[in-house]
Amino acid sequence: MANSPLVARPTDALQPSKPLPSSSGGTPSGGLPRSARGQRIAAEARPTMDLMEQMNEDEKNKYIKGKKLGEGTYANVYLGHSCLDASVKVAIKKIKVQKEYQDGIAPDAIREMKYLQKLRGHANIIILHSVFSSKDQNLNLVLEYLPLGDLEMLIRDVDHVRYGAADIKAWMGMLTRAVWWCHDNYVLHRDIKPNNLLIAADGEVKLADFGLARSFADPGVRMTANVITRWYRPPELLFGARHYSGAVDIWSVGLVFAELIIRAPYLPGNSEVEQIALICREIGTPTEENWPGVTQLKEYTVPSDVTPVAGKDKYMGRFGAVGSDGVDLLAKTLILDPRRRITAREMLEHRWWKADPKPTPKYDLPKKTAGAEEKAAADLKRRNGMAEDDDVRGSKVARKLDFGAAR
Amino acid sequence: MSRPLDPLGFEDEMCPVCKSRKYLNPDIVFVFNPECYHSMCLNCANRLFNDGPNQCPHAGCNKTLRRKGFRSAFFGDLAVEREVDIRRRVAAVFNQVEDDFETLQDYNNYLQMVEDLTFELVNGTDEKRRQAEAQLQAWEAEHKADIERNKKAGREADEMSRKRLAAERDAARQRRIEAMKEAEEEKRERVKNREMELDNLAKGITPATTEPSTKVQLKRRGGNRAGAATNEPLAQVSNLGADASEVERFRYRMHAGLSHPLMEKYRLDRQHVAGGYSFDDFAARALYEAFAGLGVFVEDEKEPGGGASVGGGGLSAGEVTTMAAGIAATGDVDKMDLD
Repeated sequence: MANSPLVARPTDALQPSKPLPSSSGGTPSGGLPRSARGQRIAAEARPTMDLMEQMNEDEKNKYIKGKKLGEGTYANVYLGHSCLDASVKVAIKKIKVQKEYQDGIAPDAIREMKYLQKLRGHANIIILHSVFSSKDQNLNLVLEYLPLGDLEMLIRDVDHVRYGAADIKAWMGMLTRAVWWCHDNYVLHRDIKPNNLLIAADGEVKLADFGLARSFADPGVRMTANVITRWYRPPELLFGARHYSGAVDIWSVGLVFAELIIRAPYLPGNSEVEQIALICREIGTPTEENWPGVTQLKEYTVPSDVTPVAGKDKYMGRFGAVGSDGVDLLAKTLILDPRRRITAREMLEHRWWKADPKPTPKYDLPKKTAGAEEKAAADLKRRNGMAEDDDVRGSKVARKLDFGAAR
Repeated sequence: MSRPLDPLGFEDEMCPVCKSRKYLNPDIVFVFNPECYHSMCLNCANRLFNDGPNQCPHAGCNKTLRRKGFRSAFFGDLAVEREVDIRRRVAAVFNQVEDDFETLQDYNNYLQMVEDLTFELVNGTDEKRRQAEAQLQAWEAEHKADIERNKKAGREADEMSRKRLAAERDAARQRRIEAMKEAEEEKRERVKNREMELDNLAKGITPATTEPSTKVQLKRRGGNRAGAATNEPLAQVSNLGADASEVERFRYRMHAGLSHPLMEKYRLDRQHVAGGYSFDDFAARALYEAFAGLGVFVEDEKEPGGGASVGGGGLSAGEVTTMAAGIAATGDVDKMDLD
């Protein structure tokens, strides 16, 4: 990983411990003393940058970094714009050098770059414009700027945001298409949740934060079961399955769907054990009958009182707002056995999309204006995301103290 | 003022004049005169200053105070109270806004000047304070018209924002009321429909029309937007995606029942079966990757004249990331996602 071209390595030529290219013998003992030799090489290396550095520099100069939008443990995010056109706004995510990964790039950054590259070109996936490294070998990801916060914000703001079945259908449509695109390209997202669904200026929902993504594994290759935020984690991962498929993302999609309807997390477990208990209570206890082989999974433990799998009428009572077709789709995403769970493609072919009411056009979708900025900034503190646009000039003005306002 | 950290009032707040304490007289009220910011209890203030101006009873303070000037403090700390008073006075005189200045630099200089002056007034020695006071008065005299104008503008802006807020509140209330009304109406209508159906049933008419009730429900579920969306071509939203409609899988066709030794080895493995591993996805991916890149000719893809800026590389800078990701995807990086 340390050999990745994305990290400029100007220090290479300066390493005094490396044998000189010119010294044919390879033994550094002959000739000049160590320090003097190091200086000489430095003098030679400075004026000409190597090809990679040159390319990196060109890429870096295409964007102008603006004010900081937020700071988190993994990255700082800055607002920026293109050099050629100041109206083209971007968010520059500067990955911090992490202690454990000082000799290279952190795996979540690699994942994000790799899969955003691969999935480029879909309307519902955040666009990665470019990548460059800045001084101190800091990695910068130039991402699409999405100013309107995330879906979680809209779900939570019960007082100010009202939406109906048509809006839910539109949002779910965009989410499902994004997930289908990932799976069609053999990529698992593994962290689908409302606050990773960012909203573009035109109302389009975009899937972001590919820090946990990976491509489908070959048979026999183990994947970690410790992915996906707990509330959205499917039972097979909770039971420690190491060989799973796109069905894990579908479960998350189903829970986002449920959350959109009831405007509260559907299965908010405080621990993994509680999460399993919640799933058993709300959806049904996984048993050999409804999920062949489940008892063989490594961490299979369920509460002793077996709840039968929930029927459609149970969902109908709680999620009836989306109509019986919507509930049917929801129930299919929440099937316990991952092999029987609906796939992203089958979801898109479901009859709910064709039923009334029709999805709201994206530009008519409810938006939140007030408070979007704080929430967006909070998103950045986690890991990913884009945020607000402030009056850049005002931010440079010295603050005027006015205690009088306190009265 | 009672302080939040001292709920029982045990902290000694004593009137320095009559020595009565809050502990003994919980109703005691402290006042001070902004002339010298020395505090005393209300009783003492009344007693000493009711008969006209008198000297401050604090030792060494020879300011002449009047009853009218006394007031109770807003802040617990009188030093803060004093600073706030001064700042308010300064702000009333120095009330220019950013728009009054040509450049940001000028405005920042102005703010710096105001803050320096305020600091002198608050914390300066007597000498400095006098100077600052003189400066303040000079400025006030000099910029009388500007100050008046800005004051008026400020008042107008306040008025505007107040109006705007009020309007917003009104609109929000209106919306809430409407939503409530709508819900109420729907409820009524549902009840009415139900009664009608029951009546019909009672009269022996078979309910050929469940229509009214479903219509109401639809209206409710769709919200107000259902109507707006009807013009939208359904296909656009319901299909696989407008721009990424269908990824072509030409050059090969998938058949059911594809096999590979690796797949056979694990096909019956309990962990794979129960975890939901999809062998079909594996087969599809293997085929896809085997054929990916066929029919792509690098020479044709190259941009003519590109890479002029990069010495001899022949790569446009836009390809840096592509190349990097390519290397990332194939090189030793792949070991990263073994988990």
